[in-house]
Amino acid sequence: MSHGHGRPPEERIREQEGRRVDGRDVTPAVGRRGEPGRWRRAVEGAAVSGFRQRFEDGAWSFLYHADTRYAARRRADGEVPAAAARMRGGTEVPVPVRGPVIRPNVWTWEVPLYFWFGGIATGASFAALGCEVAGDARSARVARMVAVGAAGCGGPLLIMDLGRPERFHHMFRIFKTRSPMSMGAWCLMGFSNTGGGAVLADLLGRRRTARALTVATAALGTYLGSYTGVLLASTAVPAWNRSRAFLGPLFMCTAVASGAAATRLALRAAGSERGHPTRAGLGALETVAMAAELVLSALNERRLGIAGRALDEGRPGRLLPAARALAAAGLALRPLGHRAPVIDEVPSVLFLLAALAYRFGWVGAGRTSALDHEAVAALARTPRRRRRRAVSSEAAGTAPGA
Amino acid sequence: MTASAPPTEIAVHRVEGGQRPPRMGFFTDTTVCIGCKSCEVACKQWNDLPADTTQYGGRSFDYTGSLSATSWRHVHFVEIAPASAQDREAARAALGQGAGGRLPNIPATGGLAAAREDLDLVAMAQAPLPEGGMDRWLFASDVCKHCTNAGCLDACPTGALIRTEFQTVIVQPDICNGCGYCVPSCPFGVIDRDPYDGRAAKCTLCYDRLQDGLEPACAKACPTDSIQFGPYDELVERAQGRVVELHERGLETAYLYGAGDDGGDQLAGGLGAFFLLTEPPERFGLPAQADSPIQANVPAATAAGLAAGVTAAATAVVSLLLAHRRVRR
Repeated sequence: MSHGHGRPPEERIREQEGRRVDGRDVTPAVGRRGEPGRWRRAVEGAAVSGFRQRFEDGAWSFLYHADTRYAARRRADGEVPAAAARMRGGTEVPVPVRGPVIRPNVWTWEVPLYFWFGGIATGASFAALGCEVAGDARSARVARMVAVGAAGCGGPLLIMDLGRPERFHHMFRIFKTRSPMSMGAWCLMGFSNTGGGAVLADLLGRRRTARALTVATAALGTYLGSYTGVLLASTAVPAWNRSRAFLGPLFMCTAVASGAAATRLALRAAGSERGHPTRAGLGALETVAMAAELVLSALNERRLGIAGRALDEGRPGRLLPAARALAAAGLALRPLGHRAPVIDEVPSVLFLLAALAYRFGWVGAGRTSALDHEAVAALARTPRRRRRRAVSSEAAGTAPGA
Repeated sequence: MTASAPPTEIAVHRVEGGQRPPRMGFFTDTTVCIGCKSCEVACKQWNDLPADTTQYGGRSFDYTGSLSATSWRHVHFVEIAPASAQDREAARAALGQGAGGRLPNIPATGGLAAAREDLDLVAMAQAPLPEGGMDRWLFASDVCKHCTNAGCLDACPTGALIRTEFQTVIVQPDICNGCGYCVPSCPFGVIDRDPYDGRAAKCTLCYDRLQDGLEPACAKACPTDSIQFGPYDELVERAQGRVVELHERGLETAYLYGAGDDGGDQLAGGLGAFFLLTEPPERFGLPAQADSPIQANVPAATAAGLAAGVTAAATAVVSLLLAHRRVRR
């Protein structure tokens, strides 16, 4: 297990206090974690004493006697929903909030680092597609290797983050379109396979297969690079939840910028000359993506209001401005690239670092935002523009027209 | 009115004699809760859960703090100090916003909403005659809500979280791989991943007891029947009668949290475990409105993300084409 909390405290008690007296096990019942206790019947299939058909043991209460005046028999139409609307309605929180309202996520460093690698893989797959279309097969091959390498780093990180890493294959028990986590796991699997297949086709000299698989990889990349943002936006955490239209595009911008930067650096390492058109194209791509990222995040933070408070506090409050500064520095240095070969590579490195800081900042903001009890409560009072109706009326069953 | 059939999920449907069991739930009536914490103890005992490390914070007599992977019932203790007349007026005004013209009756002895929560319990215990003292002491036994639109269930990528034949929501401990996505997806902060065990855990509404026709351990143990268990529709009907009765007796702030609401105002499509409260929900760390964040956000966010992805791929192709074309000229 990755989270190194060591042995649970009750294990120690069980060891110290465990003993048998007169052949009976009198170890204290200090409990177990993660699941309800397992009980075994004395006789297999025996009825439980106290068993009553249809829970009759729970149906009786002294409260329901005639002399208690517990519940009125009178039906008051609309009185009950009106009372709830009175206490739950309104846009102001009328009382001090006794938190916690929601729970902070339990993810550690593996998740933002995976987001970073997944983004690089996505950006590199787009770069490979662009190189193929532009007819630069040699650069496309490098880009494909960057994509597969980054995706290959992401998978193990995702497994390490699990509470039970040995059960990672349970992710592939079901295909659940509703859960971004499930779809993301399948997408990463597909991406790694098509990307790996393309690299293999390169090695075997199958040009057309490699090209076809490059298109497929890039198509999967459109989801791989954005689903991480969707995944965060689909939680109850205010800073993420209220960025719902922006997180996917934001994460995609970061992905493209970091992927293009990584490919650009890889091309340099692979011996591409400085003025190579692919390197120039990738330089333009990473610049555009990072500029779009800066614009989108500025727009998002303006409209977040109280939900955005968490982005300015604690660790994310330092990481996100640092990311913005790194991105801005990279953008400022980009026009100076032709002066010296060293400066030409600096923006790509800065963009990669900025992307890393963005990932850690956004994931970290989930913790501070979930623990900002006042903001969570206030946002629950703020009506959304459009409340979802379809599923609730379907669930109601008795609703008219259902 | 009541949510009887949740939207289709992966579900276990145990058919007994050709009849599906009804939806089972909890109705927790906080007006009869005495804060004895029997439900917490009964839950820990039946489910064999370990003790929590408790700390006295000096702000509340509530040691449990919140629901967690090892606390599946939690009795909120909310200590409320008396309010000033000015605070009372402010609270009246604030509450009046949602009242539809009808203002709740705020007793003069203690502000409903205005009462302060900044009691210094240590000073109170040390002082011979506490200044002002405590106005009211509220208790509410919190539990997993077994939502109709359950965020955790929607989030789970492994199918470990399922809806049972009783239409409750449980984690299958042999399936859960501890991805942790259900934790921030619960709008009520119920489900948690155990840091030692690595799996997510929460109230099962005593699924094992239900299968044997027994009521859940907490409901069985509750000495005042503040926790009532039964078929959902029956519980809702009784709870509505209780609200009407309390209104008649002058407790006009009594309301149901999570049941009996009209379609659009429902909390997460209707809560399988709902509450009768007499204070705004924030007092007990409950959100005023909630829904499965997955159902609310995934389609829109995915569409935005995919659109951005297609745009990004197109931008990549165009920028590389342009760069190459410039060189060829």
